[in-house]
Amino acid sequence: MSKSSKIRVVVILAVVIALYVIPQSPLTTDNTMRIGLLIALYCTLGLMWNLMAGYTGMVSLGQQIFIGIAGYNVAVFATTFGLPFWAGMFCGAGISVLLSVALSFLLFRMKGMYFAIATWITSEALKIIFTSWEFVNMGGGMTIKLRPYPDVFELYYISLTLVIGAFLVVFFVLNSRIGLGLKAMRDDDDASAAMGVNIFRAKLLCFMISGFVTGLCGALFYINQGSIFPGPGFGISWTVAAVFIVIIGGIGTITGPIVGAIIYVFLSEFLSQYQGYSMIILGVIAIAVILGLPYGIVGTIERKFGFEVLSTRRTMKNLLSGGRANVDYSRGRDLRVSK
Amino acid sequence: MAQAIINGILIGGLYAIIGVGMSIIFGIVKLTNLAHGEFVVLAAYFSLAISAATGLNPGLSLILVGPIMFFIGFAIQNLIVNRLMPRGAEAPLLVMFGMSIIIQNVILQVFSADPQHLTNPLDTSNFALGNAVVPTTFLIDCVIGVCVILALNVFMKHTYVGMAVRAVSDDTTAAKIMGINVNLIYGVAMGIAMVTSAVAGVLVGQTYNFYPTTGSQYLIISFGIVVIGGMGSIKGTLVAGLIFGLAQLLGGFLFGTTLQLLAGYIIILIMLAVKPQGLFAK
Repeated sequence: MSKSSKIRVVVILAVVIALYVIPQSPLTTDNTMRIGLLIALYCTLGLMWNLMAGYTGMVSLGQQIFIGIAGYNVAVFATTFGLPFWAGMFCGAGISVLLSVALSFLLFRMKGMYFAIATWITSEALKIIFTSWEFVNMGGGMTIKLRPYPDVFELYYISLTLVIGAFLVVFFVLNSRIGLGLKAMRDDDDASAAMGVNIFRAKLLCFMISGFVTGLCGALFYINQGSIFPGPGFGISWTVAAVFIVIIGGIGTITGPIVGAIIYVFLSEFLSQYQGYSMIILGVIAIAVILGLPYGIVGTIERKFGFEVLSTRRTMKNLLSGGRANVDYSRGRDLRVSK
Repeated sequence: MAQAIINGILIGGLYAIIGVGMSIIFGIVKLTNLAHGEFVVLAAYFSLAISAATGLNPGLSLILVGPIMFFIGFAIQNLIVNRLMPRGAEAPLLVMFGMSIIIQNVILQVFSADPQHLTNPLDTSNFALGNAVVPTTFLIDCVIGVCVILALNVFMKHTYVGMAVRAVSDDTTAAKIMGINVNLIYGVAMGIAMVTSAVAGVLVGQTYNFYPTTGSQYLIISFGIVVIGGMGSIKGTLVAGLIFGLAQLLGGFLFGTTLQLLAGYIIILIMLAVKPQGLFAK
């Protein structure tokens, strides 16, 4: 391990420990905890959208499928069956995985915009089904009844662990052979298939991971919120949030979603009394970023200073020790050999 | 049953005019215009504001709304989308997505979330056709929608601009060599698509209640039209509108009105899985 990467690991560990320890200080209030919780959850949401759009080229507009499914699972498990929240949470995430497998057979036949809209239509269809399904109280929504109800500190710690887990999963998937195949696939579907990348399996893996983690994330969102309705539960705003977070932070970068999530949560908190304005501002920022900073805030900084907090790039050392490639196809645009 | 079939056919004409703009943009500019639904709703709000200010009939307000929408489309295409086109399909798609969120929330700020309606003297009138009672508005929608689409077809086939647009869509490089300003043509195509959304917006506004968030519903309808009809095919949009309208109304008749939309979505998903290039793709 080189000196700079040692420093990097130490810094990352210090930040992680600080995030766990700070809430114990007397200065933290329920409100700061709530903001921390939201940043962690939105960051996870962004990471999972990024895993699909930024690394595999599957622009999903249907992340709310998993949010709604998991949210309803928690509500049904807790309120209808009187079970603890984690049961509903994991069952919801499990159903999300099953759903992603089932949907993959339909969705993976489509590329680009067809995939995007098909995921959206699926979520709209689910919205209608849940609105007319008596078991989940139709359009009336459900209240999540838990005894004892987990407090904001507990939820913060669960969400923090979730977001760190999500980072680790994304990091390891992208640094594995599958990750290399995924990036090759994003840049050129046909060429990577010809080189022996099993596209279906690689895409399915990402879709399943995305479904599972987004499901956990959705469950936590709704435990925090206390009630769920089909309209917002399967609403496009979840994906809007994920898209804005990733674009502003930097599509195809691992750390971009952190920056994006912080900006997103702060903007929507500060402007919460002016409903709608935060979305206009975020929309303008997102379009400006796409036009002016095509790699997002983090992506642009990384390119300018040649520094990456978490790299998924293959290096020569990896190659010598059994990695497979020393070439980085950065978003298919600039092709450069790593040092 | 007869009622559902007649209504389905008439609504199909409305759906075709909602979808034709998206189909043009898909086929010619190769852009996924995720803001198309918002543009339709925006046109309805423009018409509302103009008829409130001047007392014009909403239909006549199109004289103003059409050019405004043309200009907006031309500007968006030239100022934003054209710059992003070389970067692939993803960036323009996400920009239009951002645009749809902005438009939706701006409308919300200006007009509030209350449902609105474009009042029309024929609002409540019906006529009997066999044993079915048909609202006159549906008939007007269908006739205007079909006429505009047919006029568009003639425009594309027989005018210089129309031919240039088709040339660009068939072979961009060859069109450039022949001296066509491709970016300008993209702008014009977007403008034309926006004029069709203006017509669609006014028709939708006088038929249904609309509010700032209804755009996504019309986007999905448009996408259904594109998927069934095949992108860029003007004839296809008419047939697709008919299929989609009938599917929804018959679905609603057989399984209850709550599942009316669901029937439409399922048709789209089946179509996407079986024949994603559409029935009339070029």
